[in-house]
Amino acid sequence: MVPAVGRTFQWLLAACAVLLIAWAFLTVGIRELGRLLSTDARTEIVVMHWSGEGGQEEDAIVEAALARFTADNPGIRVRRINPGDAGSFYTKLQTMMASGDPPDVFYVGSERVPSFVDLGLLLPVDDFLAADVEQKVSDRLDLDGFYPATVAAFRFDGERSGQGSLYGIPKDFTTVGFYWNKDLFAKAGVSPPRDDWTWDEFIAAARRIGTLPDCTGAEFVTWPAMVRAYLMTDGLDIKGTSFEMLRTGEPAVFESLDRLRGWRHDERGALTSGKSKIASGSSVFLSGKVGMAGPFGRWVVPSYRKIPPPSQGGFDWDFVPLPRGKTEANIVLTVSWSISAQTAHPEESWRLVRFLSGEQTQRDLAKLGLAIPTIRAAAESSAFLDPSLPPANDAGYLRAAEVAQIVDWPVNPQFEALMGSRLDQGLKTADVPLPEAIANFERDWNAECASPLRGASLAPMPWDAIGLAAILLFVLVAGVWMVRLRSGSLTGREREDERAGYALASPWIVGFLLFMAFPVAMSLLLAFARWKGVSPLAQADFAGTANFEQIFTSDARFRTSMRVTLWYALIAVPTGQILALLAALLMNTKVRGIHLFRAAWYLPSVLAGVGVSVLWRWVFDSDHGLMNMALEPLLKPLGIVPPEWFGADAGVWGAPAFAIMSLWFVGGTMMVYLAGLQQVPADLLEAAAIDGAGPLRRFFSVTLPMLSPVILFNTIMAVISSFQVFTQSFVMTGGEPGDLTRFLVLYIFNQGFEFYEMGYASALAWILLVIVLVLTAIVLRTSNRWVHVEGGAK
Amino acid sequence: MAPVILQGVSKVYANGVKAVDCVSLSIADGEFVVLVGPSGCGKSTTLRMIAGLEEISSGSLIVGETRMNDVPARRRNMAMVFQNYALYPHLDVRRNMAFGLERRRSHGSLLKALLNSTYRDKRTAERKAIDARVSAAAATLGIESLLHRKPRELSGGQRQRVAVGRALVRDPVAFLFDEPLSNLDAKLRGEMRTELRLLHQRLRATMVYVTHDQEEAMSLADRLVVMKDGVVQQVGTPTQVYGRPANRFVAGFVGTPTMNFINGTIEAGGVFRWSAGTLQLPQARWVGLSGWQGKPLELGVRPDQIRVGTGSSRGRVIAVENYGDRMDVVIESGGLRLTSRSPTAPLREGTESSFELLLESAHLFDPAAAGNSLPHLSPTSTA
Repeated sequence: MVPAVGRTFQWLLAACAVLLIAWAFLTVGIRELGRLLSTDARTEIVVMHWSGEGGQEEDAIVEAALARFTADNPGIRVRRINPGDAGSFYTKLQTMMASGDPPDVFYVGSERVPSFVDLGLLLPVDDFLAADVEQKVSDRLDLDGFYPATVAAFRFDGERSGQGSLYGIPKDFTTVGFYWNKDLFAKAGVSPPRDDWTWDEFIAAARRIGTLPDCTGAEFVTWPAMVRAYLMTDGLDIKGTSFEMLRTGEPAVFESLDRLRGWRHDERGALTSGKSKIASGSSVFLSGKVGMAGPFGRWVVPSYRKIPPPSQGGFDWDFVPLPRGKTEANIVLTVSWSISAQTAHPEESWRLVRFLSGEQTQRDLAKLGLAIPTIRAAAESSAFLDPSLPPANDAGYLRAAEVAQIVDWPVNPQFEALMGSRLDQGLKTADVPLPEAIANFERDWNAECASPLRGASLAPMPWDAIGLAAILLFVLVAGVWMVRLRSGSLTGREREDERAGYALASPWIVGFLLFMAFPVAMSLLLAFARWKGVSPLAQADFAGTANFEQIFTSDARFRTSMRVTLWYALIAVPTGQILALLAALLMNTKVRGIHLFRAAWYLPSVLAGVGVSVLWRWVFDSDHGLMNMALEPLLKPLGIVPPEWFGADAGVWGAPAFAIMSLWFVGGTMMVYLAGLQQVPADLLEAAAIDGAGPLRRFFSVTLPMLSPVILFNTIMAVISSFQVFTQSFVMTGGEPGDLTRFLVLYIFNQGFEFYEMGYASALAWILLVIVLVLTAIVLRTSNRWVHVEGGAK
Repeated sequence: MAPVILQGVSKVYANGVKAVDCVSLSIADGEFVVLVGPSGCGKSTTLRMIAGLEEISSGSLIVGETRMNDVPARRRNMAMVFQNYALYPHLDVRRNMAFGLERRRSHGSLLKALLNSTYRDKRTAERKAIDARVSAAAATLGIESLLHRKPRELSGGQRQRVAVGRALVRDPVAFLFDEPLSNLDAKLRGEMRTELRLLHQRLRATMVYVTHDQEEAMSLADRLVVMKDGVVQQVGTPTQVYGRPANRFVAGFVGTPTMNFINGTIEAGGVFRWSAGTLQLPQARWVGLSGWQGKPLELGVRPDQIRVGTGSSRGRVIAVENYGDRMDVVIESGGLRLTSRSPTAPLREGTESSFELLLESAHLFDPAAAGNSLPHLSPTSTA
């Protein structure tokens, strides 16, 4: 019974709780209201960009440019958002678009134009350009002064890139080629490459350099765009007349790809085997042991400029465009300033785009060395051509630009992902014969094209009906709740206490309903929907069970990710438990400084995920990684070569590598075991010793059974977390090569945040939940056979 | 079965605490020895050193003819019953009892058992023998019906029996009991005491029993070992320890109610002077004690040697505890409280009463000599 004073206090607290909720909603409301009633008559334009490789300098240049713009345009206020690198940028852009509040002006990579246009996210700028000409605007853009391919990259007519409306003004671009180590070329007696060199010369140089001690001829990245660029130099491509008609079956295409595979896998020393350099192929060049690295664009230059000269232990380097095959070709990779289709201020936005894409801003940005101005005059000026800084061959990029084409992509962003993962299995890791890898790619892409989820028109999601049903359900539940609250055997006092309790818990309850229950329920609904995560929810279509059908019948990547995840769980769960238990046994001994040892074991568990992942990427590097350096002397006498963890051997060793890495975090589990061990009654162990049991027998017959509830708990936690691997694979491998380290959660992320298939991702997430539930149920079911619970209750 | 001999056994912990100080003790084959003393006296540590659960800091432990100091517990072949029973909670009663026997069974791989039929037969025979012994021990203790239960399904008394049974099935060189009855209620404790005594009579096994309960010790022991602060105070049969306590500590520790102690001095003629007057010691008691004349001494009188209602001394009755068959009466006299035990005493609290001290078997202790008992000269030796 609560005394009267306590009761007043109780209600005071409850009132505080309710006020807290009201305040949370009010602050947001007032902010919005303030914006609405703002006396600032200026138009607000929201600009979003990234500054990945450009870093703070790029950030500062954009900021300065915006300051100049607002000075010239006093009627416009600019709010700038820079989420960091391109990845964070696109995630932020996606959430802003989905919430119906996208920035007005933002960066768009040319590869995203088809899918963004398809989703109706971008505003065409042709009319603005025409109007500028008509009105003879002084700083109007003259597209003829731009490199044509860069402009073509942002044209899309709904089916093809390079034609149709223009969806942004390219701000800068790059062509691609190889960065070459001048010192190694000289050492190997290879003459410097000319801008019009051939693939024969390329491979001859690579082979010669590969004979130098510890050196490899070239690092050749097999990113989809680069593979297509490579084919273009033979006058070929993956894509036929359309993306539905692949040319992969053509003998010439196969021959060309097989030549690349052969260079990498049939000979030693010519090309790196593409071992662990998945995440950042360009950094291999920094070692000074690789003759050439590419095909890369201009973006590597800022980091390569940090290579010291030979006198300080570094080396000299330069750039050379992509070699010629049957023809001379190159590609442009470019980023535009584009305008949101939903902008409320198209006119002002265009003025900003025109300003930011203008020559002055381009010249400023060119000084970063990161990219080439798209305006020819700026590119050919000293802003870009800077003889005082490497690479000496700045002109090489511009020469390549003359023959460069756009690399177009279909509306469905899965094409690039599938091409990358499937062809990599043949080209990069060679764990699948090339014809099979190509066939897999064709099969998966054709399945993707034929999917009922693509293209076919579906009925819109009946949100009204769902909302009505939800309200009815809510009313029903609330009603039953109220009735239960009123009835029951509670006295008036108890009922009052109960109400006060609910009022006190209300901040949590409201938070739970809003931020947990609602999203969970939404994801369940979306699992039966087709919804592009970048469009408003109202545009979601009802897909029935199509998501699940596709997942289970034709999604090879799902099966691969399932296999990877299970393989990982199979290794990580038992080894993690055994190691944690052994460590706990060690930490349970009475040794001087035991607290120090315990802390040391626990320490890795408190370290941040991304930093640790970067560290372990180095550890598992096939050539210079700690793991293989340790394994080599052990395995060499047996005639075994250490595995290329995230390379050729990723199919078998990729997931185990992550499992090994997970052992780094056993400290937490160890602590739980340690607590369990300290609960094992000493007299039981003594009784067993008296009964003649040795240390091992005591462990297995007494300690282990007494620890079984802890083992059960830890095992369930481990099973659950083994299905949640994300950060490691996202940071270390990105799921590559060939999806062989693409864990289920990473795949869900890819579907949701790269392909914007939120419905599909929701379906995958629910499948993951069911799998985890089933596995947990199995563990619990078997537990009464092996878990001993004190006190009788199971 | 074998004799157990402790020769100057000491236990010193790492922090310098001396838990057991130079204990020498010879336990004969088949003897029931009880180590008794207040908590912290080192009795359990001594037992654990015998069991091999504590390392012996110095001295020797000899079982049979073998020095056991460095033999691990599991090879000493002793059986022990723990205070908390220490039953394996995950095993049923049968497997709890069989645990020690299983450990001593031949061990080999399952493969060996599959391939080698002789070995297989041997194992089967062993298993049968174990089952038989467990059943026999269970029958002895009357717990056959509990064999398939888990310890948590048993009452305290039943657990106690299982713990004893687990020791019983083995054929150990000695049984060790570490306060096995202290978790039972008084009634059950009494019953178990009798059963243990009977068990010992039947087995004639060497048993070492630790308790802080002197009554339990007296009732069970062939021989008592009274300990205090790690040092053995007295070793002897219950009669010896009760009748001729070696020192004031033993005298005070053994017997219920506790012995009455009266401070005073001996004067010429065997007169003991204390705060409430003088007492005349019988001739047999004071002869030969002339050397202690005038020195402060303590006179010890058991409660059953104080009669109330008769005699010349007077005191006030401050408490009467009626047990039905006897009465304990606390009398205040000369600033001292004396407890008397007598069959009947029609007294009321708060009244004055006369009382008499029977001093034929009184004890004298010398506080100057660590409370040691003054020599008792038996009537024969005085003659």
